[in-house]
Amino acid sequence: MNANAIRGSKRRMSWKAWCKQAKEQKSLLVLSVLFFAYGFIFCYLPLVGWLIGFQDYRPRDGILGSKFVGLQVFQTLFEDPEFWLTVRNTLAMSLLNLVFSTIFAILFAVLLNEVRCMIGKKFVQTVSYLPHFLSWIVACNILFDTLGSTGIVNELLMKMHVITAPLNFFSYPQGFWWIVAIAVVWKETGWNAIIYLAAITSIDPNLYEAAAIDGGGRWVKMRYITLPGIANTIIILLILNVGNVLNSGFEVQYLMGNDVIRDFSQTIDIYVLKWGISQSNYAIGTAAGIFRSAVSIVLILITNAIAKRTSDTRLF
Amino acid sequence: MKSAKRILAFMLSAALMVGAFAGCSGKQSSSSGGTASASSAKSTGAIKNFTAFFAVPLSGADTKDTSEVKQKLAELTGAQVKETWLTGQTCDEAIGMMIAGGQYPDFLDGSNATPQLLQAGAFVNLDDYIGKYPNIQKYFTPLQWAQLRQAEGGHIYYIPQFSATYGEPNETIHNDEAFWIQTRVLKWANYPKITTMDQYFDLIERYLKANPKMANGTPNIGYTILCDDWRYFCLENAPEFLDGYPNDGSVIVDPKQQKVIDYNTTPTAKLYFKKLNEEYKKGIVDPESFTQKYDQYISKLSTGRVLGMIDQYWDFEYSIVPAFNTQKLDQQGCDYVPLPITIKDGIKNQWHTKDGSVLNVSSGIGITTSCKDVDGAMQFLNDLLSQEALALRNWGIEGRDYSVGPDGLFTRSDEQDNNCNNLTYQAAHLCPYSYFPTFTGRLPDGKNSVMPNRQPSLFEKTLKQDVKECFAAYGAKNYVDMLGNNDKPGDWYPMYTYSSSLNTSTPAGLAWTKMAECKHKWLPQVCMAKDFESEWNNYMTAYNACKPQDFISAMQTELENRIKFAQENK
Repeated sequence: MNANAIRGSKRRMSWKAWCKQAKEQKSLLVLSVLFFAYGFIFCYLPLVGWLIGFQDYRPRDGILGSKFVGLQVFQTLFEDPEFWLTVRNTLAMSLLNLVFSTIFAILFAVLLNEVRCMIGKKFVQTVSYLPHFLSWIVACNILFDTLGSTGIVNELLMKMHVITAPLNFFSYPQGFWWIVAIAVVWKETGWNAIIYLAAITSIDPNLYEAAAIDGGGRWVKMRYITLPGIANTIIILLILNVGNVLNSGFEVQYLMGNDVIRDFSQTIDIYVLKWGISQSNYAIGTAAGIFRSAVSIVLILITNAIAKRTSDTRLF
Repeated sequence: MKSAKRILAFMLSAALMVGAFAGCSGKQSSSSGGTASASSAKSTGAIKNFTAFFAVPLSGADTKDTSEVKQKLAELTGAQVKETWLTGQTCDEAIGMMIAGGQYPDFLDGSNATPQLLQAGAFVNLDDYIGKYPNIQKYFTPLQWAQLRQAEGGHIYYIPQFSATYGEPNETIHNDEAFWIQTRVLKWANYPKITTMDQYFDLIERYLKANPKMANGTPNIGYTILCDDWRYFCLENAPEFLDGYPNDGSVIVDPKQQKVIDYNTTPTAKLYFKKLNEEYKKGIVDPESFTQKYDQYISKLSTGRVLGMIDQYWDFEYSIVPAFNTQKLDQQGCDYVPLPITIKDGIKNQWHTKDGSVLNVSSGIGITTSCKDVDGAMQFLNDLLSQEALALRNWGIEGRDYSVGPDGLFTRSDEQDNNCNNLTYQAAHLCPYSYFPTFTGRLPDGKNSVMPNRQPSLFEKTLKQDVKECFAAYGAKNYVDMLGNNDKPGDWYPMYTYSSSLNTSTPAGLAWTKMAECKHKWLPQVCMAKDFESEWNNYMTAYNACKPQDFISAMQTELENRIKFAQENK
C-alpha cells in the first residue's frame, strides 16, 4: 500500500487520493508543520521588514505609515564610498577565512585519520575543537594578549633577535585581514574537521585493504582513497559556505578593529550597525542587508552551477 | 493502544508549538504582569515595582534587591526600581534596538541616543505632571524649565539628573577633563610650575630618562592616548581647552563676539597634534595609543606605569582605584593630579567650571509610553528628592554607615568609610539610585554635602598621602584648586547639549557625523605620520570635504537663539 501511495504521488493526484494520503501520513504532517511554522516565522515573516529599505522610514509612523521612496535609499547607499570599502573588506576577509579554514580543516582531518594511537587521536581532537566553544569576546582578548607589546609573540621574536622593539600588530592595516584569518583558523579548524572525519569513517575499508594489497602506502591511500572519498562532502560544504561569504564577519572585526585600521576592518555588518542602528537610519541598514542577501543568493547559484558542470555533486 | 499513541504524539507536538511561540507571548505577559502588580499595589498599599534602563555603563556596584537601603527607600517612597545598565553595546546600539522593538522600561535615560527616543515618541509628555509634585517643580528654576522645554521641542519629556545644585557649591574633585600627571613625576622635579604643553612633555621626558622603570621593573610609559570609539575625546578636543576655553564640547564660543569657532582647525589644534606627533616619534607617546581598547587602557593605567594622559576623571579614576589600593601604588606616587595647562603662557585655563553651571538639556531620565502608572513614577521621582531619601541614597543608614555630630554634620569613621567604598558592601547594603535626579552641592538641610566625598572632613580623610603632599606643595586644598574655578561663560553654555541632539537627517547633523568619522580615521594617522605637514594637509582636505561649515553655521544659529531666549525669559 505504501509503495502504491509513493508511486501515486509522482503522478498528478486526484483530490481524493491526496486526502487519503494525507490521512495516512497525518502524524508526519503534524510534525512537519512545526518546522514549516518555524521557517515561516523566523525566516520568511521578517522579510516584511524589507519594506523599510524602500521607505523614508520613521519609527513613530511604523512600516505601514512611512512614505515609500522607491530606490532612493539604495542610491544613497551605493553612492557612499565607505559602503564599498566595507563590501571589499567583507569579501576579502570571508574569502581568506573560507580558503584557509577549509584547507586546514581537510588537512587536519586527513592527518588525524592517519593517527593509529586511539588515545592520542581523541586527545588531539578534543583539544583542537575546544576553542570553538570560546565566545569571540574571550578569543579576542586572548589575541590581544598574545599579540600585545608584552605578549608571547613579541617576546619570542625579540628573544630570537628578529626584531629589536615590540611590534604593534594591530597598527598594520593590511595585516588585519591575516590576523582575522589566523584567528578563525585557530578557533574553528578542530570543529570544522569533525564533519570531514565523519565522512572519512564512511569510506569502505575494503578500498584501503585493496590498496594495501596492491602495495599502496599511506600517501597513496590519502591521495587516491581518502580525498576522493570525501570530495562530495567538501563540495557541498563549499557551496553552503560560499552563500555565507557576505554573512560572516561581525564579532572579530567589531572587537579587534581600531581607528588606525578602520578602512580595512569594517565589514557590512558593522556598517549596518553604525548607520542603521546607531544613527537610527533603519532604511539604509535594511537596504545594506537586502544587498547582502541578494549577493549571497547569486553566489550560491553560481557555485552550484559550477559544481554541476565540473562534477556530479550539487546542492539543488 | 494505537489511538493513545496518536494522542500522545499530538500532545507532544502541541507542547512543542507552545514552546516555540512562548517567545512572543512571554514578553506580553511579563509587561502586563508588571502593570497588574503596580495597579494592585496602589489599592493595597504594597510596594510598586518599576523598571529602569540607563544607556550608560554602570559605575560602582550593582545594587542587590535585598539591600537594606533599597528596602528602606521602598518603605519611604512606596516603590522600588529594578535598574539595568549598558553592557557590551554602545548607547546608540542599545537604544536603536529598543526603538526597533518598541518596548521600553518604565524609566529610561537614553544618554546620547535621546534624540532618537524623542523622534520615536518613546517618552510621556510630563508638562501636566510637573506642577503636581513640589520637589520636582522646584528642582529647576523657571528659566531652566523653559530652557529644557525649548531644547526638547516645546514639552518636557525628560529631567536632567545632574544639573541641579542646592546650597553653596562645594566641589572638591575635578570630575572632568584635564592633563593628568602622576604625583611622583612632580615630586621628582620638586613640584615645578607647569602651565604649558611644552613644559608638561619636557618634564615627562626628563623623568622617563632618569626613571625608565618602576620599582618592580615594569617599564614606565610617558604618555598614553585613549581613542577607543566614543572615548576619543581624550585625543580630539584638547585644543579648545588649550586656547583657554571651557568645555563647550563640540565648538569654541568666543564670549566677547558671541561667535562660534571650530577648534579642529585652529593654529592651536595644529600645534597640539604636531607636539603629539613629535613625542610619538621620540617614543614618549605610547606606541599602542591608537590601537588600544578601553579595557587595555584601564589595565595599563592600573599597573601605575603610565605617567600622564588626557582623560575625564570619571573615565579612569573609579576603575583604577581598586588596583591602586591592592598594589599600594600611592606609596610610589602613582596617583594622578590635574595640571592647569594651556598652549602658551598668559592664557587663563578653564578646564574646570563651577558646579551647577551646566544645564545638560540633551538627556535625562524620562518616563516611557510603556509605563502604565505615570503618576506613581512621578511620585517616586518626587519622593527621592526629600532630605531623608537623599541622605539614604548617598550616605546610607544613620548609625551604621554614618553618624551625625552635635552640629548636625554627618561624619564617617574609618571603618564606615572603608565599608562604603567597598563594592561588595555597596551592592549588598547601599542603594544610590545614581541615575535618578539628585543634587550636586548640599542636602536640603543646607549643611551636609550630598556626596560624602565632598564633605570636607571626609574628603581630606580619603586623600592619599602622595596627593596630599602634592596639593600642599602647590597650595591647593583639593583637585579643583589645582586648576582654579570658573563661572560659566554665558547662558548658552554648554553648546555640546545641542550638537549631541543632532542626527543625520539634517545637513548640520550629517556634517557633524562625517566630521567625527573623519577625525576618527585621520587623527591617529596625523599623530603617527613620518611627515607631519603633508599628513596634516591631507587631513585638512578630508576634513573640509565633510562640509564642517554646515555644522558650524547651525551652531552659530543655536548660540544666537540661546542668548536671545535667555534674555527674554529672565
